[in-house]
Amino acid sequence: MDQTENDRKRANFSALSNANGAIIKMTANAGTGKPGDIKKIVIKNFKSKPTLPDNYQEQTWQKLREAVIAIQMSKRIEYSLEELYQAVENMCSHKMDSQLYVNLTALAEQHVKANIIPFLAESGDKLVYLKKMNEYWQAHCQQMIMIRSIFLYLDRTYVLQNPTVHSIWDMGLELFRDHIALNGLVQSRTVEGILILIEKERHGETVDRTLLKSLLRMLSDLQIYRDAFEQKFLVATKHLYQSEGQAKMEVLDVPAYLQHVDKRLQEENERLLHYLDSCTKHQLIVTVERQLINEHVTGILQKGLDQLLEENRMADLTLMYQLFSRVKNGTTELCAHFNAYIKKKGRTIVIDPEKDKSMVQDLLDYKDKMDNIVNTCFERNEKFGNSLREAFEYFINQRSNKPAELIAKYVDMKLRAGNKEATEEELEQILDKIMVQFRFIHGKDVFEAFYKKDLAKRLLVGKSASVDAEKSMLSKLKQECGGGFTSKLEGMFKDMELSRDINLAFRQSMQNSEHKELQNIDLTVNILTMGFWPTYPVMEVTLPHELLQYQSIFNKFYLAKHSGRKLQWQPTLGHCVLKAQFDAGPKDLQVSLFQALVLLLFNFDLTIPFEDIRTAVNIENGELKRTLQSLACGKARVLTKIPKGREVENTDKFQFNNEFTNKLFRIKINQIQMKETTEEQKATEERVYQDRQYQIDAAIVRIMKMRKTLSHNLLITELYKQLTFPVKPADLKKRIESLIDRDYMERDKDNQNQYNYVA
Amino acid sequence: MPRGKRRHAIDMRPSEDDQQSTKRQRNSYQNSRRYSKTDDAFSQKRCLTWFREYTTPDDPDTLGPEGMEKFCEDIGVEPENVAMLVLAYKMGAKQMGFFTQSEWLKGLTDLQCDTASKVQCKLEHLRSLLNDPNTFKIIYRYAYDFARDKDQRSMDIETAKAMLQLLLGKHWPLYAQFAQFLEQSKYKVINKDQWCNILEFSRTISNDLTNYDVDGAWPVMLDEFVEWLRQLRAQPTIS
Repeated sequence: MDQTENDRKRANFSALSNANGAIIKMTANAGTGKPGDIKKIVIKNFKSKPTLPDNYQEQTWQKLREAVIAIQMSKRIEYSLEELYQAVENMCSHKMDSQLYVNLTALAEQHVKANIIPFLAESGDKLVYLKKMNEYWQAHCQQMIMIRSIFLYLDRTYVLQNPTVHSIWDMGLELFRDHIALNGLVQSRTVEGILILIEKERHGETVDRTLLKSLLRMLSDLQIYRDAFEQKFLVATKHLYQSEGQAKMEVLDVPAYLQHVDKRLQEENERLLHYLDSCTKHQLIVTVERQLINEHVTGILQKGLDQLLEENRMADLTLMYQLFSRVKNGTTELCAHFNAYIKKKGRTIVIDPEKDKSMVQDLLDYKDKMDNIVNTCFERNEKFGNSLREAFEYFINQRSNKPAELIAKYVDMKLRAGNKEATEEELEQILDKIMVQFRFIHGKDVFEAFYKKDLAKRLLVGKSASVDAEKSMLSKLKQECGGGFTSKLEGMFKDMELSRDINLAFRQSMQNSEHKELQNIDLTVNILTMGFWPTYPVMEVTLPHELLQYQSIFNKFYLAKHSGRKLQWQPTLGHCVLKAQFDAGPKDLQVSLFQALVLLLFNFDLTIPFEDIRTAVNIENGELKRTLQSLACGKARVLTKIPKGREVENTDKFQFNNEFTNKLFRIKINQIQMKETTEEQKATEERVYQDRQYQIDAAIVRIMKMRKTLSHNLLITELYKQLTFPVKPADLKKRIESLIDRDYMERDKDNQNQYNYVA
Repeated sequence: MPRGKRRHAIDMRPSEDDQQSTKRQRNSYQNSRRYSKTDDAFSQKRCLTWFREYTTPDDPDTLGPEGMEKFCEDIGVEPENVAMLVLAYKMGAKQMGFFTQSEWLKGLTDLQCDTASKVQCKLEHLRSLLNDPNTFKIIYRYAYDFARDKDQRSMDIETAKAMLQLLLGKHWPLYAQFAQFLEQSKYKVINKDQWCNILEFSRTISNDLTNYDVDGAWPVMLDEFVEWLRQLRAQPTIS
């Protein structure tokens, strides 16, 4: 740049000094002249116009011609470059520029034309051919640069002033293109050669990248890159990867295939970097992506996605996501298959009754795993997150009721005392995760029923691990489902608190009372509001006199405070601490009320037959047998059964076991759990089901009362809007029919699709 | 009730006859004489006398099952013939197997019949009433209350099948399958809603069931029938 700038400057100066026509002499002797002198400016005429020799043009051209030919032949130039440049400049100044240009063009053309011959000849090796072509191209460029330097003045003046004329460089290119590159044979040989080289490289051979780069630069310089090369190149690329994609898909497993695709894309990018024109980038990459990814999206997903997810192959999944996000609909497809996998796999977790024990933990782990995949592999893509949730919601409800029940039980397990495996924070985290699962459940009423049952047990037996955790769970439920859902549960907590106060007050009143004989017995009463708590079967048993007395005192005390209420005692829920004297010393026995009733009998008699025990305590037969079993056949055998044996028979006798020993002072004697789980569970389910029937009926009547007349479909839609649990349309229809049968509504006489409300 | 009013307004004379009927019954001689004289004109008295032929002295106002049998014999119709149903409908009979005196009078006055032969002439007319879809629908609905045990809200399945056979057996190609379906189902009774919808079903649903919409308002019983039938048809037929 600097060089040319200088050239130009010099050219301008020389133009001034060489235009020796008009010389303006300015005598400015103002400084030296005396004051008062008249200043004179004399302007003289041209002396004479210098003339060129007649044959100047021919001679100069001859000189230039020789020089150009020398350059073309790569020979030494006779004249100095300075001289030649000057010659051009002179010719231009004397208006010989257009002729000069024409001559030069003709000269160059002649040369180029002559040079095509070797390229037309039969050529054996493609590589040699390409090299030769490259050499010639390089030479041509060299020559044109040289020539341009000499004819620079022409380039700067004549060419610039005439827009239709190509610059010398362009002229050179044009000649090269017209005579060499556009020659069909030459072009096809060259392009084919290039394509073969690229293909070789794609097959792993090392090729002369500089050669490729140079030749491709040539094509783009000649502006035939796109027409002559790019089209064919892309077609070749397409064919190659089309067959490669199909072949590799069959041979390779999915991760390997993905690696391969990734490698290919990298290679192609490198290719772009090293020798392809950057304008090809988009199309090339798109072609590769289409052939290697787009065409096989479904194939890849069907063949390998499940396995990758199953084995938690994070890196491969990440790669898959990245590759798929390159192509249109790639992530959508991936997302759909991801969704299908979750549903399929999730179903197996939920549906098999044999896996019930581990279902909730499996669900939590599964969710963690899938969350992790979405977060790390799928870039937290929102679409995938939503799809994940949708899939969970779908499969969890594939099995009705059971997941809800098990989740409730899982929470119970975590909240129960003695569960030391988690710290407060960990517990909180677990609860949060549980809530996520809970959110998916459609039949939340089932959860509530079981949760309530378990909560009642925790509260009444005082087995709750932490009040904070209980409260936290409650507030989570409230947040999720609203106050209506938790009002009963909250009521249970409130009952417990009120009971505490009542007990305090009661104890105080007892101290002031005249019942001195009862003061060495402690009584704690939990007042449970009916409706908040699960319903318990009422059992009538015979209580010892002291307890009966105590009960009536409490009854009086309580009803005095809250008149108009009714107290009902629930002996099944009570528990006691008994002080016992054995040979080995005193012990505290922590037992249920039933166990206590039995044990107290042995205060009066050391051996009692079964039938006598039954008449004395009046406990239901099965219950009594279980109670005795726990006392005489369990771990802590405070009674001895005669004869010995596991099962309690009606003819058995029981004896107080004086030799009982235990290293602990306070001993808890566990009740034998009835095989109640299935029965109890059935009952709870049945109750939920019943509740739902009523809710459906109520909803139908409510809607019909408001609308008076409604078509079947509209009624069903309304119902689905109102009902919060899953119902099958057939169940709704059954309720509708039942209501029709009970004359709450009727089917329209003329339109069987329409119902009318019957007031 | 419109029916009662209409009857009262149109026929003033019969009530007159009603009062005299007991007297007339005793006088059989006079009765038979009148009988022969005015042979073709409708006579309420004769009609009533004829009614008495089928009743027992214990319950002179109700025609019971035995009388019914005799009556059917006289008019030459099987008791389970559909014409009997239409006749019962015409009388507005409340209970299958019984006609009360007022039902008898109302129905036969409408038909202008006072002898067995006159009723016989009307039988074709009665049957033809069923050809009108609207009348058929009314009679079909009437049949449910007519045939069901009055102590229960619903009709037991055996009666229902017999009645369906009577009413739809000829016209509904799927009746046989439907009866078969009921046979194997757990249904013990049919309620009125189901009953009415069976007619609707037989009228609108094509034999190949293609136009049946499970999400429609059809009672669950019909959903089950369709499902059952589709399964049956999907099975390869063993021949």
